[in-house]
Amino acid sequence: MVLFATLFCAALLSMPAFALDTGPAPSVNLPTRDGKISLSDLRGKVVLLDFWASWCGPCRQSFPWMNEMQAKYENQGFEIVAVNVDQKPEAAAEFLSQIPATFTIAYDPEGKTPEAYEVMGMPSAYLIDRNGHIHSQHIGFHNDNKETYEATIRSLLRARN
Amino acid sequence: MQLIDHSNNSKSKTVGRALAAATCALLGVHATGSLAKGQPGEWDVETALLVYSETDDRVQAAEPVISATRNFDGERKLNLKLVADTLTGASPSGATPSALPQTYTSPSGNGSYEIAPGEAPLDDTFKDTRVAVSANWEAPINRDYAYSVGAYGSKEYDYLSTAVNASLSRYLNNKNTTLTGGLSLGVDLVDPVGGAPVGLSRMPLNNNKSQADFDQEFAATRDSDDTKTMVDALFGVTQVINRQTLMQFNYGISYSSGYLTDPYKILSVIDDASGSNYGGNLVGGDGNPVYLYEQRPDTRLKHSLYWQTKYMLGNGDVMDGSYRFMIDDWGITSHTLDLKYRWQLGKSYLEPHFRYYLQSEADFYKRYLTASEYNSGAPVMTDASADYRLGEMTGLTFGAKWGYRFDDDRELAIRAEYLIQTNDGDQGFGSLASQDLYPDTNAMWLQLSYSF
Amino acid sequence: MPDSRLFYRPLRQAQRVLMPIAFLAATLLTAGCSNLGVKPWERDLLANPDMQLTVSGVDAGLDDHIYFSKEASSGGRGFGGGGCGCN
Repeated sequence: MVLFATLFCAALLSMPAFALDTGPAPSVNLPTRDGKISLSDLRGKVVLLDFWASWCGPCRQSFPWMNEMQAKYENQGFEIVAVNVDQKPEAAAEFLSQIPATFTIAYDPEGKTPEAYEVMGMPSAYLIDRNGHIHSQHIGFHNDNKETYEATIRSLLRARN
Repeated sequence: MQLIDHSNNSKSKTVGRALAAATCALLGVHATGSLAKGQPGEWDVETALLVYSETDDRVQAAEPVISATRNFDGERKLNLKLVADTLTGASPSGATPSALPQTYTSPSGNGSYEIAPGEAPLDDTFKDTRVAVSANWEAPINRDYAYSVGAYGSKEYDYLSTAVNASLSRYLNNKNTTLTGGLSLGVDLVDPVGGAPVGLSRMPLNNNKSQADFDQEFAATRDSDDTKTMVDALFGVTQVINRQTLMQFNYGISYSSGYLTDPYKILSVIDDASGSNYGGNLVGGDGNPVYLYEQRPDTRLKHSLYWQTKYMLGNGDVMDGSYRFMIDDWGITSHTLDLKYRWQLGKSYLEPHFRYYLQSEADFYKRYLTASEYNSGAPVMTDASADYRLGEMTGLTFGAKWGYRFDDDRELAIRAEYLIQTNDGDQGFGSLASQDLYPDTNAMWLQLSYSF
Repeated sequence: MPDSRLFYRPLRQAQRVLMPIAFLAATLLTAGCSNLGVKPWERDLLANPDMQLTVSGVDAGLDDHIYFSKEASSGGRGFGGGGCGCN
């Protein structure tokens, strides 16, 4: 009984493993509503690659913020590509009708791109610098982190090739 | 909610109730089901009204509930819940029916009630209102941990119940596995009408004696008010099996100590001496039948194992099945099987429900005591109870819920359930054997709820 | 009606059976379940409100109260886990 409780508590309190994704960003070639998007075409820009789904609650808060970022930093060479991973396109369409996006939406129902990026939680966003390398990985969306997030984007935009 | 009467059996479940209340508020932590629900800055409110009714003029109750959750940034939630219930009606006192009319003293000592020959002895002296409030706060610590804390209190005129609880959850395997540990501590204050009776003492009856003699006898059978403390711990593992399947396994342990007896329950003493009264109520020195107040042990240790599975079919229908095994040191073991099927019908759903419950009797459960066991006022046992809820029991529940979803936020639902409870045990002897010692209990409840 | 002796287990005897089962189950689940589960982006069905372990806290609370006012058992149900796993 005591052994059982101890083992359980040990599992409960053990240290988590942590993995941060860095290195060259895996290639992305996906359809969008009007055509296609390819990450290699965006070389030279700072890219925020976001993985979202209609069933993800925090995505409802991240979209208005991403709209704001896109508008604010577009002319400095900032691009947001939001990859939808819904298995049914109707679900994504319904989400977008309630929460419109000014940035590019790409569709990956088979989940090959999140697999390549080793996505660990929804939503996940990767900041990719002008050289096509992953700068940082952000799991989840928290209103508290918006300021620091924006500061990181600005610093990446300042660094030129 | 005291659905039957002020049985400590139901009160000893208050901590389970507190945990359940905390549970209900904790649900969806970091895993908010609905899209629009759980959005920061909003309130999610669930209101309901339950109407409960037992057959044969037994308990009737009405219970409104309001549960409101305020969502904050960062997946933090505060839940406040208010439940009120009004209870009327009669419930079995534990005495046996007889071929002769029977009179019992009411719990306050200020009155009595009569039961006709062959009728089940029901104590009709309760009309009660109870109010319960609970508050629960849950928040993540980081991506891997979340916690919750909560408090609970309820009050009715003869009972006060309080509890606090806390839990810690740990995520593993990309949130496919969740480990949860919870602890609850509760203290109840019992203040029965007329004072708590001395266990296994004889119920004073005012027939054949002066009021002064009766009052003296009544005062002698009174004990002081008492308290009950409870410690509950729950260890659980929730595991995503695949895209459509989720399972949960819990181990629970619960320890209560203090006044666990039901102050309003009695046992009949049956004459086992051969002769004309064989199987009839034992007649005491004052010419009245002998009834004893019940007595339960002052500690109870329960263990439970619980397994639940949820499975979503290709068409969106959801199957929900669970099994619970419980065993305690009162000698009771129980099995509970619960099955639901949610049938999606566009904007609405229909969910039939079936529950099967099986329970063995407590070690000290006695449908009646014999005169030999009563031993002229020095009973051979320390504990005895004729409360049918501690006896051998089978319960079958059939129900259905119909709900209509206006949108992501609002839902209207109506639910109906019908319970058939049968009991069994010692069939008695002599003239007692011709009485129905185990009448069925049938109950129905209807619930209307609205969430917004 | 079944004989209650069929279901009667001295507590210690049951504990000898219960403890190892609970211990084994928990160990297996926590250690051996890293293969089970789905990718974080495959939780669409699990995120459905109907797939929560307790869909309506109010219903569960009302029923739990009715049953432990009429039976000798209570609780057992747990909390946490499942769902969309977001954030």
